[in-house]
Amino acid sequence: MLFPSRYSLERWSYTLQRITGVVVTLYFVLHVIETGNFVGGPSVWYVPPYDYARAYYEEIREFLHNPVFDVGLVIIGWMVAFHAVNGLRLTLAHFGITLGRPSRVEPEAPPRSFSPFQRAIFWISIALAVFAVVYSLNALMGVLAA
Amino acid sequence: MEGKVVFTVFRHDPSAGERPRFVRYEVPYRSGMTVLDGLLYIKERIDHTLAIRYSCRMGICGSCGMKVNGLPRLACFTQVSELGRSIKVEPLPNHPLVRDLVTDFTAFFSKHRAVKPWLIRKDAEEQENPTRQYLQSDQELERYIQFSYCISCGLCYSACPVVTALPEFPGPQALAWLYRFYADSRDQGGRERLRLVDDATGIWRCHFAGSCSQVCPKGVDPALAIQLLRRAVLRG
Repeated sequence: MLFPSRYSLERWSYTLQRITGVVVTLYFVLHVIETGNFVGGPSVWYVPPYDYARAYYEEIREFLHNPVFDVGLVIIGWMVAFHAVNGLRLTLAHFGITLGRPSRVEPEAPPRSFSPFQRAIFWISIALAVFAVVYSLNALMGVLAA
Repeated sequence: MEGKVVFTVFRHDPSAGERPRFVRYEVPYRSGMTVLDGLLYIKERIDHTLAIRYSCRMGICGSCGMKVNGLPRLACFTQVSELGRSIKVEPLPNHPLVRDLVTDFTAFFSKHRAVKPWLIRKDAEEQENPTRQYLQSDQELERYIQFSYCISCGLCYSACPVVTALPEFPGPQALAWLYRFYADSRDQGGRERLRLVDDATGIWRCHFAGSCSQVCPKGVDPALAIQLLRRAVLRG
């Protein structure tokens, strides 16, 4: 049921939206933990001269500075962009804005809910997610400058 | 297309305590043959113990729903020629198995009844002793006519990933029926109908996967009905 090979674009959208939602949520949890470590906890804000914070900062930066985490961030960038824009498509669908109107059934006609407008937003979300990948690759690895 | 078609059929009798298995049958192809024709050939000439459910053989009763080559379809409505020489047949997902290709629709129909699939009217006396017809314009008819074509075959219900994850979800069929009556100008259920599904396990659980609309053999488009129900709730 998870891999929707025989189903329509909307089912792919559903599967991607679920996977990206779960992964981005997990990322946010790890991100908060990592950022908390990065600043060394609340004590660094009131224990001058902040040597502990500086040492911790360098240690974590060294740990995170490798291609594996960079690729991970690029993937997260793709997921966040896709999830956000595709979520907008779903919100619009909740209000019936991007869908066709009910009518008499025409043989072989696609369902009105599979309207070209809402499908276009899906492809826009994919395109913006690809843009986010390019932007992330450039920001982290300078691919456009190379 | 001539020669033989290989049917790989799911076999399992839970009451016998046997393990589920797939059995291969070779069936001679003939022009115009449907998947149901092939299964009936197997039952009549190869293996009488195969359990299937069917009735009208013409896509009206909705009895012969099953998963054919990975998608829920009506066996009588699916031509062998559009599937090729290898056909895999399984029972409908999301419905409890009775035996082989026969599934239990008890939960499905109880959800159907729960949405009150009938006209709700305040004028009880007029219902008992009608004095006139309820006239409708073409525009009023078009608001719901599409959803009234549902034959309750359960294909949409078996294709829905939300029903798989949350069995309490009413499913696309019940929700499409609810919208069919909500949108009917003769119905006076109004907000009472929406309250039936405006909860944590109701319309808000739909994630618009659209599989229900894809597999519907009658073009009912339950995904559209569910989004329109949400719009009705959101717009008050």
